Amino acid sequence: MQETEIHDLSDDADYAASQQQGSVTLSRCNSSKRSSVSEPEGAEIVYLKDNVTIHPTQYGSERISGRLKLIKQGPSLLMTWIPYSGQSSNARLSESDRNLYTIRAVSFMDVRSIHRHTPTLGWQYIIVVLSSGLAFPPFYFYNGGVKELLATIKQHVSLVRSAEDANVFLVNDFQDRLQRTLSSLELPRAVAVATGPSSPISDGRPPSYENQERTEVGTFDGSASLIQHNDSQRQNFQDPARDISIQLLEKFSLVTRLARETTSQLFRDSNSDVFGANERRNHDQTSHPYPSIVASNDVEEVPNEIPIASDPLEFDKLTLVWGKPRQPPLGFKEWLTFFDSEGRIMDSKALRKRIFYGGVDHRLRKEVWPFLLGCHAYDSTCAEREYLVSVKKSEYETIKHQWQSISPEQAKRFTKFRERKGLIDKDVVRTDRSLSFYDEDDNPNVNLLRDILLTYSFYNFDLCYCQGMSDLLSPILFVMRDESESFWCFVALMERLGPNFNRDQNGMHSQLFALLKLVELLDSPLHNYFKQNDCLNYFFCFRWVLIQFKREFEFERTMRLWEVLWTRYISEHLHLYVCVAILKRYRRKIMGEQMDFDTLLKFINELSGHIDLDAILRDAEALCICAGENGAACIPPGTPPSLSIEDGLLYSQEDDEVL
Amino acid sequence: MSYAYLFKYIIIGDTGVGKSCLLLQFTDKRFQPVHDLTIGVEFGARMVTIDNKPIKLQIWDTAGQESFRSITRSYYRGAAGALLVYDITRRETFNHLASWLEDARQHANANMTIMLIGNKCDLAHRRAVSTEEGEQFAKEHGLIFMEASAKTAQNVEEAFISTAATIYKKIQDGVFDVSNESYGIKVGYGGIPGPSGGRDVNASQGGGCCS
Repeated sequence: MQETEIHDLSDDADYAASQQQGSVTLSRCNSSKRSSVSEPEGAEIVYLKDNVTIHPTQYGSERISGRLKLIKQGPSLLMTWIPYSGQSSNARLSESDRNLYTIRAVSFMDVRSIHRHTPTLGWQYIIVVLSSGLAFPPFYFYNGGVKELLATIKQHVSLVRSAEDANVFLVNDFQDRLQRTLSSLELPRAVAVATGPSSPISDGRPPSYENQERTEVGTFDGSASLIQHNDSQRQNFQDPARDISIQLLEKFSLVTRLARETTSQLFRDSNSDVFGANERRNHDQTSHPYPSIVASNDVEEVPNEIPIASDPLEFDKLTLVWGKPRQPPLGFKEWLTFFDSEGRIMDSKALRKRIFYGGVDHRLRKEVWPFLLGCHAYDSTCAEREYLVSVKKSEYETIKHQWQSISPEQAKRFTKFRERKGLIDKDVVRTDRSLSFYDEDDNPNVNLLRDILLTYSFYNFDLCYCQGMSDLLSPILFVMRDESESFWCFVALMERLGPNFNRDQNGMHSQLFALLKLVELLDSPLHNYFKQNDCLNYFFCFRWVLIQFKREFEFERTMRLWEVLWTRYISEHLHLYVCVAILKRYRRKIMGEQMDFDTLLKFINELSGHIDLDAILRDAEALCICAGENGAACIPPGTPPSLSIEDGLLYSQEDDEVL
Repeated sequence: MSYAYLFKYIIIGDTGVGKSCLLLQFTDKRFQPVHDLTIGVEFGARMVTIDNKPIKLQIWDTAGQESFRSITRSYYRGAAGALLVYDITRRETFNHLASWLEDARQHANANMTIMLIGNKCDLAHRRAVSTEEGEQFAKEHGLIFMEASAKTAQNVEEAFISTAATIYKKIQDGVFDVSNESYGIKVGYGGIPGPSGGRDVNASQGGGCCS
């Protein structure tokens, strides 16, 4: 296989002949003009369609058109899809993108099913699902031809319409009736990849046929605006709830693009064992009602007898190819490159992106966090920030003085103040005392925690103090090492997370409800499981959301997670996708062990300290992109940490008992 | 470790009355004043022996702050026993008992055994609630009562175990249908012969052992 990348053997008759012996690749067989007339010895083109296009992203400009062919070679039927090169309208589309999606040849021996989709408006498209459970991105037939394609396939291999769904065509029909039924049910298991195991990725080498295919470009360019128009209409007319699994398959092409840098590496390294294992499982488990291809990285094996509904977005090891790999934290040198001569951050989006993927070196956090939290405007100058810090310092002192000036005589007659102060006093000595920064008696940092929280309860008299706030303040003080600056960073954070602490818990409830909707969207079997087991209040995620996973990770990891969340780079609500990602990691255990609410709560509590942050962040990113607009629609406007949509009363509190 | 029964307990009461410290003293036999404040709920477990039968206590230690009440209420479901705790040095924690009790009555099963604990009895010099008041409240509401100290361990063992003994007696008297888990009781392998096996056979957490 490697050799084909190094030497162009396309015109070598011996090479072509050698490929006929059960080989899966024909990567160079159609590399010359004559290929459209006659393929290398024994190969015959039985179907050819131009302007078959994939939509790797939502942008019309990033679509990739190509030519789809069916090639009969000996007893095998192969499919190829070669994108046209040189689509000049398309600067964002790199050569490697095209190479990534290229299907040099996939044998129908490896295809499980073809899913035809006929929207009311717009183009017909198909999704080809491999027997490994992987799927190619949807192919849109701009010039029609789906019916003809299916008819052609049927002439050469067994093609059966699924009894369950008239738009699903089973290619490798199974002897076993049960298997046959399953194969049509297994659609949701499919995971799209740019190139399946049988069509290896070229190392970015330009394919040799590009000159010949370039003639098609004009057609594509000419229809670009029309394409965009039709597409938006199509989306408008499609019922979003109609077939979520089909929609998700479409989304996968988006994820695929996101993961393109990692895909080639990881698939090269791991596909043989991951997919090999999956296939074995499928064959071994003929009596199993739900053969699952979960590659087990769960804590422990699950008893076999309990059927577990498979994950619509098959996860576990496969996840590795989704989100982007984490980067090293932003360091000092690189940080400086973001500033102009007066200290303005020139490209805040690039900065946020950088931090999203790598976090910040700890020594830099003191400088970076005030930007992320919104204390400093990105376009402020150094001088402006210095001035602001000094103004804010005196403002802080003024508020602090309000409670400091309450004399013991006053306090004696001021029960609510005493109670509030007593509560804070009790809680700060129960906050991160295992850290040396806060340990031992009479630690001045613990006193700072208390002063800041008490001052905050005067700054925000309506919200006051509530347990959990000290957990949010502690890392901020640890990073900022300055009372006033910590206070204002905390104020900025509470602008977003304040509703978590509302007396009526409405901020928490709205987030937990959005989480419910996200799980319903992204993992309906898990949702149904929670529903059946009376777990839909999602209280088992309460601590995660209330204090932003502060108790789930060690201190340094928490700080990393927070700065990633604070970038609000792909979503303001990434934390909810983090919840979904963790639940999906353990879905098999949760359902396999038939956890009830109590057991689940205990299990989730005990995950603390055992969650791999980097893996979860990648999963969360992939899920967020995968869910797209449907995901965003699960989260109503104003759901924390979005800024409140209401003006005026931010914190409607009932009559307080503790001031 | 196998057990005859598993009882679910819940510890409730105002913030700072020493709920987590009582739990730690019972499961680990140590007093740790500097632990993180409880957000949501924490869990502990220990085996005890009642009537020569090994019984596992699975204990839910809840957050005390008023704001979290709506969450705490969901934890009552299926509890066989509750420890309702106040701090004898802080009057207001005693004054709030009625509202805790109301929550428990409303959200827990009616046969739940409730033990009232006046904690921090080592701090007698700062006492703000007399023993008699505690006794009186318990009597009025049909609770078992003890003063205890998580710091000195006084009565901690007794509080948990006498609650378990009361629940056990209720089982013997046929008050509970033990096959119905909503009573907060699970039958384990070490107990009554029958088809219902104990699913939760993990060793007790935090180093506790049979006493």
